[in-house]
Amino acid sequence: MHLGCPPANFQPMPSATINGRTITAPDGATILDAARGAGVEIPTLCWYPKLPIAGNCRICVVSVDGQAKLLPACATKITEDMRVTTESPEAVAARRGVLKMLLERYPADHLINGGRARPNNQFEDYVVRYGVQPTPVGQRLPLLRRGDERPGDPMISHDMTRCILCTRCVRACEDIQVVGVLDVGYRGEQAQIIVGADGDPDKAACTWCGECVRVCPTGAIFEVLPQQRFGEIPVTAEPVVQSVCPYCGVGCRIELHVEDDEVLRVTSPSIELDTPNQGSTCVKGRFGYDYVQHRDRLTAPLIRRGWVKRGTRWVWTGPNGADRRAGPWRSIEAEGHELKHPAPPRATGKRLRDLPLLDRVTMDIRERAATPPDWYQPFRQATWDEALELVAQEMSRVHAEHGPEAMAVFQSAKCTNEENYLLQRLIRARFGTNNVDHCTRLCHSTSVSAMQAALNTAAASGSMREVEEACDVIFIAGANTTETHPVFGASLKRAHKRGAFLIVADPRRIELARLADIHLQMQPGTDVALFNAMLHHILAQGLENREFIAQRTKSFDAVKQAVAPYPPERAEAITGVPAALIRQAAERYAKGPNTTTLWAMGLTQHLTGHDMVTSLLNLILATGMIGRWGAAMMPVRGQNNVQGASDMGAIPFVYPDYQSVSDPAMREKFARVWGVEPERMSLTPGLKVTEMTQEGSPIRALYIMGENPIISDPDIAHAEAWFRSIEFLAVQDLFLTETARYADVVLPGASFAEKTGTFVNTERRIQLAHQAIHPPGTARADWEIIVDLSNRLGLPTTFPSPEAVMEEIRQVAPAWAGVSYQRLKNLAGLQYPVPSDDHPGTAFLFDDRFPTPDGKATFHPAQYTDPAELPDQEYPFVMNTGRQLYHWHTGTMSRRSNGLDAREPTAIVEIHPDDAAELGITDGDLVRLTSRRNAVVISARVSDRVARRQIFVPFHFREAAANLLTSPVLEPHAKMPALKVCAVRIEPVAVGATV
Amino acid sequence: MGYPHQPHLKETVVLSQYFGDAEARTYDGWVKRGGYQALEKALAMEPAQVIEIVKQSGLRGRGGAGFPAGVKWSFMPKEKKKPHYLCCNADESEPGTFKDREIMRWTPHGLIEGCAIAQYAIQAEVTYIYVRGEFTEPLRIMEGALAEAYRHGVLGPNAMGTGKRLDMYLHRGAGAYICGEETALMSSIEGRRGNPRIRPPFPAAYGVFGMPTTINNVETLASVPHIINRGGAWYKSLSLSHPKSTGTKLFSVCGNVKRPGNYEVTMGFPLGELIDELCGGVPDGRTLKACIPGGSSVPILNREESESCKLDYEGCVEQGTMLGSGGLIVFDDSADMVYQIMRLARFYAHESCAQCTQCREGTAWTVRILQRILAGQGEAKDLDLLLDLSEQMTGKTICVLSDSCAAPVVSGIKKFRGEFEAYINGTRRPRPVLVHA
Repeated sequence: MHLGCPPANFQPMPSATINGRTITAPDGATILDAARGAGVEIPTLCWYPKLPIAGNCRICVVSVDGQAKLLPACATKITEDMRVTTESPEAVAARRGVLKMLLERYPADHLINGGRARPNNQFEDYVVRYGVQPTPVGQRLPLLRRGDERPGDPMISHDMTRCILCTRCVRACEDIQVVGVLDVGYRGEQAQIIVGADGDPDKAACTWCGECVRVCPTGAIFEVLPQQRFGEIPVTAEPVVQSVCPYCGVGCRIELHVEDDEVLRVTSPSIELDTPNQGSTCVKGRFGYDYVQHRDRLTAPLIRRGWVKRGTRWVWTGPNGADRRAGPWRSIEAEGHELKHPAPPRATGKRLRDLPLLDRVTMDIRERAATPPDWYQPFRQATWDEALELVAQEMSRVHAEHGPEAMAVFQSAKCTNEENYLLQRLIRARFGTNNVDHCTRLCHSTSVSAMQAALNTAAASGSMREVEEACDVIFIAGANTTETHPVFGASLKRAHKRGAFLIVADPRRIELARLADIHLQMQPGTDVALFNAMLHHILAQGLENREFIAQRTKSFDAVKQAVAPYPPERAEAITGVPAALIRQAAERYAKGPNTTTLWAMGLTQHLTGHDMVTSLLNLILATGMIGRWGAAMMPVRGQNNVQGASDMGAIPFVYPDYQSVSDPAMREKFARVWGVEPERMSLTPGLKVTEMTQEGSPIRALYIMGENPIISDPDIAHAEAWFRSIEFLAVQDLFLTETARYADVVLPGASFAEKTGTFVNTERRIQLAHQAIHPPGTARADWEIIVDLSNRLGLPTTFPSPEAVMEEIRQVAPAWAGVSYQRLKNLAGLQYPVPSDDHPGTAFLFDDRFPTPDGKATFHPAQYTDPAELPDQEYPFVMNTGRQLYHWHTGTMSRRSNGLDAREPTAIVEIHPDDAAELGITDGDLVRLTSRRNAVVISARVSDRVARRQIFVPFHFREAAANLLTSPVLEPHAKMPALKVCAVRIEPVAVGATV
Repeated sequence: MGYPHQPHLKETVVLSQYFGDAEARTYDGWVKRGGYQALEKALAMEPAQVIEIVKQSGLRGRGGAGFPAGVKWSFMPKEKKKPHYLCCNADESEPGTFKDREIMRWTPHGLIEGCAIAQYAIQAEVTYIYVRGEFTEPLRIMEGALAEAYRHGVLGPNAMGTGKRLDMYLHRGAGAYICGEETALMSSIEGRRGNPRIRPPFPAAYGVFGMPTTINNVETLASVPHIINRGGAWYKSLSLSHPKSTGTKLFSVCGNVKRPGNYEVTMGFPLGELIDELCGGVPDGRTLKACIPGGSSVPILNREESESCKLDYEGCVEQGTMLGSGGLIVFDDSADMVYQIMRLARFYAHESCAQCTQCREGTAWTVRILQRILAGQGEAKDLDLLLDLSEQMTGKTICVLSDSCAAPVVSGIKKFRGEFEAYINGTRRPRPVLVHA
């Protein structure tokens, strides 16, 4: 129950009183709920909002007239005529008794004789409030408590002498995260919190989410990082700034605690507030923030040596040709081929004390990894004037010499909406080209093309919350949600726990697949056959939603014919999934009553990605599983602002809010707002990321904001060569990335903690993040850089703040018309469409019509074709790529986070135990993966998560880049590379070979 | 019958009639002795009729709480919307109590019959018999009997040929005393840690696996066939003192008596007579000092109270104690009450499930103080501290384990304060005890 916000089933109970005050409470409320609603505080220790009631600390006992015993307020329902006294002498005596007993085993010397409670320590606060005196340690009989302490853990540590066994951590782990790492072991006074069966969190499948840290009332479970960086935690409560997590598309609300212009720790807002994460975070959100203060951060602009200012112009005096962008580094390709240290043994992780780290003087976390010092060698530090002048000069020159089609920008799904808006405005208005794109191309571009075709939409139809609250069947296709969107993954697990039926279609046996009621483990790239067969069976059984098809859709007959050749038996032959299982899944899917459909990269990153999503949309539409609370269509977005960057027009064919660039009326409208002649802007859709970096593309000057395509593009060796070949490259980033090292100019931007701006999460929720600290050195917020650059390039730009940018955005984007910083100041943000100032936002879409001219969705038939690459004798394995829980995309951020990197320090390839045995490979061995394009040397991880003849390689690691191997073949509609399927062979690398 | 002794004339032998008679353990032997007639009779009645007979008999729970069994059964939902369960609590772990063990050892079919009747009465599909883990022999016997009952069609899809389905499973405990507490027992059956749960909701509304559940003690259920056979009025007539305490009760007598064992007497039987006549009194040359009538969890009686105590629910309450499970522990004048109380407290400290603060910390702290007193290092204020702790441990926790620890401590200090003070002021030689592991 929310404080002061009674739910809908509000039933007044005027005759109940608390401390003499008449109170009202909703039906089924406990005494504690009612008291909190009335603003009466009752002490609690084991109680925590939304956790199952344990009722074990016995501190919340209250007196109720007519009851001989004291009653626990947290576990007693309030009833008519109940007269409650919260601070009766008996209740206070019992409370003091509880505190006294807990204190007897608690290190409390600092509380003797009026000592002060530690900050944020609920238990000590009560001890002080109720005036309980601790016995000096020497005179005590009971011993201090013990428990598993996670020695050497890089992120979470325990001081179990401070544990009061409230078991909040146990319940949070079990019921919120649905992991169950923690439990109470032993009995009586030996009872203690245990970590797994043997104290090893790794073996207990801990995900280091830190939920236990959040709920602990005494600090017995705490995060390691702040202590490491700051020694003793300051006693004063530090300022807290509301922000949004910089990692995935869930868009978790986080709070940054600031100390001396540094982020001291990250917490999350109360579990009771309406935020996308409902108080949770994952390991990256809670512990992955230290990259912000990593010493690799760029503090001043860098200019490649060789650029010299002669008079008023910058001239290149360095070498030309192959050495133009050379440096003292090895190419990604060369690094991939090298032998390297094998991965450390699994299940022990890496202990902090074994890492070469902790230079306390410079506050540097590590020496290892991140930017090698010699990468800076080809650059010299510059002033902002110099750097921006050079960028402006060269971009103008290339534009003048080669025309608009030679210009391009890569925008960033990590930057704010305001920044993305400004950058696409610059390239479109100043250079007259639509060559603007970002990493959505490698992400959900095929979803967008398929959804645009069928529904004329480009975003999820529902909210994450409805999955947990209202859906009966969850269908997840190609989304490893518990690792890639862990907070959403936990809510899926909670939904499953409360009874939702879980169907997972995935070639890997991921965590959700193990939990699932049905796991459709198909061959990679065969999804169209699977979904068509499901629809075939649904039609055969007459389970389709005829009313929905008739009223809300058109062209159904085409699809009916298209799926006819896909009886489940044929699909079994193609996908390897038993026909009976396909039938069962189809029936459960169609019967709902409310089925939510999720998908992610497992569907989109294929040569037939567009068809896969189309066939899935056919399934959704034929069963009418869309447009109701609980029946959501959810393409799960990757980056924290990939939705927002797309919304802001960082794609080559639309202006902000998906307004077509080919429409002269739109051009007119934007030209007017941006203050340029309409004729200077292009009506031709621009090139997509994957087209720009191909050999023979017209691009001569490229400006990259916060992307690292050299690691994320397919077939890196070719991409790297292309980047070395262009005339001018400017990169705006936090670090000297693998891409930035080839730049002419590197501009230091600001991290999420250092600027104010808005982000859009996967459920269309616009959220405002506030600046908490200052950027390091002379680094500047990205929006400031773009404003400055725009003015230097002759595009008058006068936004004094991100808020001013938002004021312009809402003028041009109809769905954002009601968005303002004033309204975004509440934590929940706004889910667009927000067409007006008084519109509350939209939790789910399409309840009565689709945004097409006639309001109807269109079925498009999809036929199965073989994946881009099939294994053969020479390349017998199918390689899949993707992300790990502990790392983020190209590793720029997460590999510079101490805790995250300690969990996954090296590149690995997952290989099935039987295949490993056949090849004579054991866990940790170095192997060489060779595809039709290239090869890498990498450590093997033997795991039955992958099926036989399939391997999985995360793409985060520069030293063994998965994308050296992947195929650059592009999906025809959206130009998405087929990253998920490529044929490889595996060879063990000779034993004894070391670096 | 005071097995292994000869029956005493003053016993009323109902449940213990066949104790020591190995043939009664088998299906055939049991049927020959009139077994399973009651079940047949019950299955021919309406469930409500069965409950009515049991209500009429005045049978009360023999596990310790003494709640009327028929009334408990009638709490089960009349309209069946979910599966119902019956749990038979055979986790007999109360120190000093060993009656259920003998029922299971000698008359396993009697228990199965009682369970089946109760199961039918409350319309449960399934009975779980939760057997204490250490009871290896009784478990083996019960397993054999259950297999026989299935084989002969007493249980199964067509129980007694009536077409009704009755299923029964044995569930073996793993050595935790707390699993004898009904809600902890349910948690344990569900496969969780055996922690007691908060009531309400009560088991009849939300029991094992969240379904309506009734939990009865072995002795209670074993009495049911006799009530069905001979009628509620007959059972109700078995009462020597208070009319609300009816039937016979098995008392497990141990401690300083000449003939320890199980004795079955009519409710209201005088405690003094049980000790002196049936059990042959305390050893020669000794005198009675104290006894605990209802298993270790109830307050201690001194000699005078013991001699005037009537053994039924009301009679025990009159003397400030409880009938409990009927585990009678007898102390003669050689007993060191401080040490005995420490032993009891140590048991509870060891068995605390550790959920509630007062129980987890209070029981252990109590033991440490008692050990300090025994070691001759106690102080006068320790007794106040003990009483203060006991006050905090009484009536404030989820279950009554901590109350059970406090009861002997409070009554012991009240009735034998001199013995505590002798240790504290040094007039008694210290008796150091190893700090319990």
